[in-house]
Amino acid sequence: MAQDQTHEPIIKVRGLSKYFDSFEALRDVSLDINRSEVLCLIGPSGSGKSTLLRCLNFLEAYDGGEVRLEGDLIGWKSTTDNPRKPLKSEALRRQRQNIGMVFQQFNLWPHLTALENVAEALINVKRMSKADAQDKARVALAKVNLSDKERSHPANLSGGQQQRVAIARAIAMEPKVMLFDEPTSALDPELVGEVLGVMKEMASDGMTMVVVTHEMGFAAHVADRVAFLEKGRLVTCVPPQDIFSRTPDDPRVDAFLKTYRERNVV
Amino acid sequence: MELDLFIRYGPSLLSGFAVTILCWIVGSLGGLVLGFVLACLYRFGPAPLKWFIFGYVEVIRGTPFMIQLFILYYGGPSVGILLSPVQAGIISFIVYGSPYFAEIFRSGFNAIPEGQIEAARCVGLSETRIVTRIVLPQMLVPITAPLTNFFIILTKETAILSVVTVPELLYETQTMASETFTFVEPFLVLSIFYWLMVIGTSRLGAIVETRVTRHLRRT
Repeated sequence: MAQDQTHEPIIKVRGLSKYFDSFEALRDVSLDINRSEVLCLIGPSGSGKSTLLRCLNFLEAYDGGEVRLEGDLIGWKSTTDNPRKPLKSEALRRQRQNIGMVFQQFNLWPHLTALENVAEALINVKRMSKADAQDKARVALAKVNLSDKERSHPANLSGGQQQRVAIARAIAMEPKVMLFDEPTSALDPELVGEVLGVMKEMASDGMTMVVVTHEMGFAAHVADRVAFLEKGRLVTCVPPQDIFSRTPDDPRVDAFLKTYRERNVV
Repeated sequence: MELDLFIRYGPSLLSGFAVTILCWIVGSLGGLVLGFVLACLYRFGPAPLKWFIFGYVEVIRGTPFMIQLFILYYGGPSVGILLSPVQAGIISFIVYGSPYFAEIFRSGFNAIPEGQIEAARCVGLSETRIVTRIVLPQMLVPITAPLTNFFIILTKETAILSVVTVPELLYETQTMASETFTFVEPFLVLSIFYWLMVIGTSRLGAIVETRVTRHLRRT
């Protein structure tokens, strides 16, 4: 049984749709995410990749279809109610503890030090003692190479350091899946590497990762599969070599990647 | 200036000052708490409650304090609310201040970037914890100055309580003036007392502001 479970996809997305008023942000997206897999979501801006990511932890309440984490329906009580009823906040919070998230804008809490940012949920969600939480937070900060910055407030950290604290904050909760929403898009070019380095290390440690990114180099070299979205639809989801080959099957993928090729990024 | 006037009226002026401070502190802290509750209900409550709070804020903010005080103190008995002047004064003071406080807190809530709240939800913090641990401590940065300002405004609004015979500073000063036919001295003392309250409040506000903005300083 336990072995069966490891072969099952950890996340199953089926027929997902999402509307913002009358704008159709996602249309009938189905996707599996396997354990220890790194899946990159790419596509033009407004294609729905961030929305898809945010549906996975119910930061956006999807309208149709379903998202399941290890079989557990995310966010809604059931898919058969009409209208759908959201889970009790308690239950949703339990689900979210399994799903770590890293944002483009870091979203650290500026009034807390790096260590306090990481320890906050350990104390107030996992109910650990302050001392235990801080020990665990230090381990997480060491993983992102920031042991020397634990007493710094975000205002005194570079963008790359802030993003690494944000990663530490998420991994300290020991999530089953990590979501990254354009984690390097707000960083100066010379700081991108340190964040991607940490992410590569997480990938090689076997973390399941879903990454919305414009870093085609990362997608090409670290991802197990790359999903291309356009106009809210999943166009393709294939291993990176298939998408970054000189002649992708789909003309839409080709057109998108052309802009990168012109800059010699891919 | 006749100094023996101050010796004679000193005790009553001091007692007026004490009553002013009592009404001001209890009334404005009560208003602060009520305003915070209103702002929380406005943000997190169901839609009908929001409309009620919106109406409450508009009505209370849209009418003069003195009228609210009259209605409570003189109109109250006809609906069975019998209050002493000080009771009526403090209650109406709480009511009068609460919508202003609520608006300050509302703007404070809005000042916290949504992303920080999303990050808190992602690690599973409860909505209550998000308010107490993430929103409130940071909200103090933008709201300390307006709060200090409003506390200062309220020091002087206490003078209106004299119209329902609350024995506060203005009431005692007027008594002294009418009994002695002096005006400069009593009102000079009155000004000094108000000035002491104002200066104390603004100093306290500055201290709080330094404390709550500490994390923003680059080192």
